[in-house]
Amino acid sequence: MASWPTSPNLIGKPTRRIDGPLKSQGRAKYAYDIVRPGMLYGSVLRSPHPHARVVAIDLAEAQRAPGVRAAIPVVDLSNPEPLTHKVLFQGQEVAAVAADTEEQAIDAVRMIAIQYEVLPHLATVEQGLRPEAPRVFPDGNVREANVLEEGTVDAALASAAHVVEGFYSTQVVTHTSLETHGLVCEWDGDNVTAFCSTQAVHSMRDGLARGLEIPQANIRVICEYMGGGFGSKLGTDNTDIICAKLAKQAGRPVKLMLDRKEEHLATGNRPSAYARVKAGLDAGGKIAVWDCETWGTGGAGSGAGFPLPYNVYEIPNRRRRHKDVYINAGPQRAMRAPGHPQGCFITETVIDELADRARLDPLELRLRNLPAAAPDLMWIAYFPMGAEKIGWSRRHPFGDPTPGPIKRGLGCAANRWGGGGSRRTQGQCEIFPDGGVIMRIGTQDIGTGTRTLVKIVTAETFGLPLDAVTAEIGDTRYPFAPGSGGSVTVGSVTPTVRVTCENALAALAEKVAPALGVEPANVTASNGRVHAKDDPSKGMSWKDACKQLGTASITVDGQWEQGLSSVGTSGVQFADVEVDIETGVTRVRKIVCVQDCGLIMDRLTAESQCYGGITMGIGFAMFEHRLLDRVTGQMVNPNMEFYGLPGLSDMPEIDVTLIDQPERGVVGLGEPPTISTAAAIANAVSNAIGARIRHLPVTPDNVLTALEQQRAGGTL
Amino acid sequence: MAPNDDFSVSRRDFFKSAGVGGLATGLLSQVELRAQTGVREVGPGAVQIQLTLNGQRHTLSVEPRVTLLDAVRTRLNMTGVKRVCDRGTCGACTMMLDGRTVYACSILAIEAQGKAIRTVESLGTEAAPHPVQEAFCEHDALMCGFCTPGFVMATTALLERTPTPTPDEARHALDGNICRCGTYKKVLEAALATKGVRRG
Repeated sequence: MASWPTSPNLIGKPTRRIDGPLKSQGRAKYAYDIVRPGMLYGSVLRSPHPHARVVAIDLAEAQRAPGVRAAIPVVDLSNPEPLTHKVLFQGQEVAAVAADTEEQAIDAVRMIAIQYEVLPHLATVEQGLRPEAPRVFPDGNVREANVLEEGTVDAALASAAHVVEGFYSTQVVTHTSLETHGLVCEWDGDNVTAFCSTQAVHSMRDGLARGLEIPQANIRVICEYMGGGFGSKLGTDNTDIICAKLAKQAGRPVKLMLDRKEEHLATGNRPSAYARVKAGLDAGGKIAVWDCETWGTGGAGSGAGFPLPYNVYEIPNRRRRHKDVYINAGPQRAMRAPGHPQGCFITETVIDELADRARLDPLELRLRNLPAAAPDLMWIAYFPMGAEKIGWSRRHPFGDPTPGPIKRGLGCAANRWGGGGSRRTQGQCEIFPDGGVIMRIGTQDIGTGTRTLVKIVTAETFGLPLDAVTAEIGDTRYPFAPGSGGSVTVGSVTPTVRVTCENALAALAEKVAPALGVEPANVTASNGRVHAKDDPSKGMSWKDACKQLGTASITVDGQWEQGLSSVGTSGVQFADVEVDIETGVTRVRKIVCVQDCGLIMDRLTAESQCYGGITMGIGFAMFEHRLLDRVTGQMVNPNMEFYGLPGLSDMPEIDVTLIDQPERGVVGLGEPPTISTAAAIANAVSNAIGARIRHLPVTPDNVLTALEQQRAGGTL
Repeated sequence: MAPNDDFSVSRRDFFKSAGVGGLATGLLSQVELRAQTGVREVGPGAVQIQLTLNGQRHTLSVEPRVTLLDAVRTRLNMTGVKRVCDRGTCGACTMMLDGRTVYACSILAIEAQGKAIRTVESLGTEAAPHPVQEAFCEHDALMCGFCTPGFVMATTALLERTPTPTPDEARHALDGNICRCGTYKKVLEAALATKGVRRG
């Protein structure tokens, strides 16, 4: 049974990212940077219409254009099923070309002649919900879920001491990975190698096999470095298949990288969330009841699920009716903690409203309604820690009484996430006679530091310095590891590496034990030596030990084991903001984050996950919004200047406290820190201005509207 | 075409020629127009240009519409700087032109002739990284790394001008670069902690 070392040399220390030099020197090769001999550039013609039927595709002129080597239709008009001839969102793929240069490919795409029959579209959830709306989706525009009910909601509402009622919403945001989706495909006979920007090399391979109808064994997917995915790069896209088909037709490698507009339109987004909530507090300050009607859109034919009430506080009576509303917009994809930031924002806002209504400190209300502490439910301990750090004791009640236009406020929110590890994960370790070590595992580093963690655990297990071992990842030729989504990478990969390296050490011990004159079971490795466990003086250097292998290296497999990782994290965040109530402009002054994540592998990269999650949370809270024109259905900000990502000058002071729980083993950290940032900020803004923020993002016009409504009669 | 020809078009020349063109349509031939404005027309086909990149002269053939970024990335295969927004917002393509940071996606390659162009590849080597690169690694000022070369260039340009910037100066200088992973806090730390950048 594998276990983690009790006094590690590397695990839990701040270790520099091993690919830092390559990345900072511009030498790391991303899919975008791959160049293959004779490589062509692909470009895709996309529907300008949010809803249309493709009637005819004429590639002839494009095929004759300078430099063009391949041209294919994507919408297959020979398909007898007429539904497949439809495009359901602006930016859906219709046809594609490959040419010698990128400029030629873009020119040729313009020469493709498409006849569309433009159909009525739905650009907003309001349009989709109207009974007289055109039926745009074959099974209807709205998918209604079963009513979920626990307890006795109506009775609890009738007997509640305080009831608040409100309408809340969060906007659609896009992943906006800096490296757009894309790949380079190169065929060799029936085999294809794909250099992809992906979060999952193995599922990319399987998706390519399905899409191209070729054996999985004929496909190799490589992803050495990738420029961000945040959930949008977990599957195989139409454009991946298109790229392979273009390369096949041209008989040359093809690079197909999306441009920024395509990325916004067609590679996923976080669905919107809307909720009408009625919640009640009993006379003892316990949240007694939660009744809500919710809806949202995940675009064309995609759901908009989010947890509500967010499952942190104990609420005995709850009821929910949910509808997914389909509109003609790019379909949603998992985005960093899918559903959680939306559910957290709405829930934590209602909690603050209940506290204000009952004239209770919102922190006190939270503490009264949290579950008892457990290793994965530690909010009751973390809230007071965060409160101390943000200076909660100086918090004023609803509305900053200070004269002047600049108002300050504090807010807080909790988060939770699962994580865990996949038991299907496998690894392979090779020890060479000259002492070299290669650890191979088919995971990928999406910017979280996975490659560094593989190296840390390998070196730790063999008692070697970090640079004495090599980590090989990002290739389907290496043993299976799951996609990097759901914060499962660290919980899948590091236990597997540990088990594999322990197996390899046991195999080495078999060879070395005779020379040491001890039983193999009594052999271990530490401080660059292989030695007897009970007598460290009986040993030899790592290099000498490996010489015992003779001429053949040993290659040992390993499989994920239970007991080295856990499921479940908890954390809290606090925000300190200032708002100019004349202009509506909000500045976040400080975010405090208290977050656990089990056994920390690399303190430096773990902290970075928190900073990163908070930064993305600030974008969601304050700036980002996929805006569709309600008349044309076109995205009006499919770029980076009007989409609105936070920059360095938008960054507040960020105070991160990581809680070590080494006894729990590793737990993923990619998602939890981004969940509660927006909720904490919005609560802080409400606390500052004395008017309730119920809609994200907290733009100046949202702030001024909230103030206006407050003056016009009050929202409390 | 002589390789040393300068095709650069200033904004002033552009407005001058555009204005004349607008007024004189049908009155003056293209040839007469060119003679009067002094603006020479090139393209739309490929033209030969010379770029001085990291101290080395490169002769290449590009259409006038090709950006400096694309020329460097796809013609010279120097892929250190990245293409992200492709319209002058994110800074991932930051290069230095005669010592000033520019968005290489928003400059035509033909306009960059005769200027000293520096890319991230000019900073340090594998064995001896530039102090800014060293600081980025030490402070974990990079995650996926796609914005990193641009940030490294912007930071280097700042420190070559202002070796000990205040936090506000650094924030201002680096505000033209976007990171999605959320490295800003660490980037600022790295920029403020870097020592030993020489005036460029």
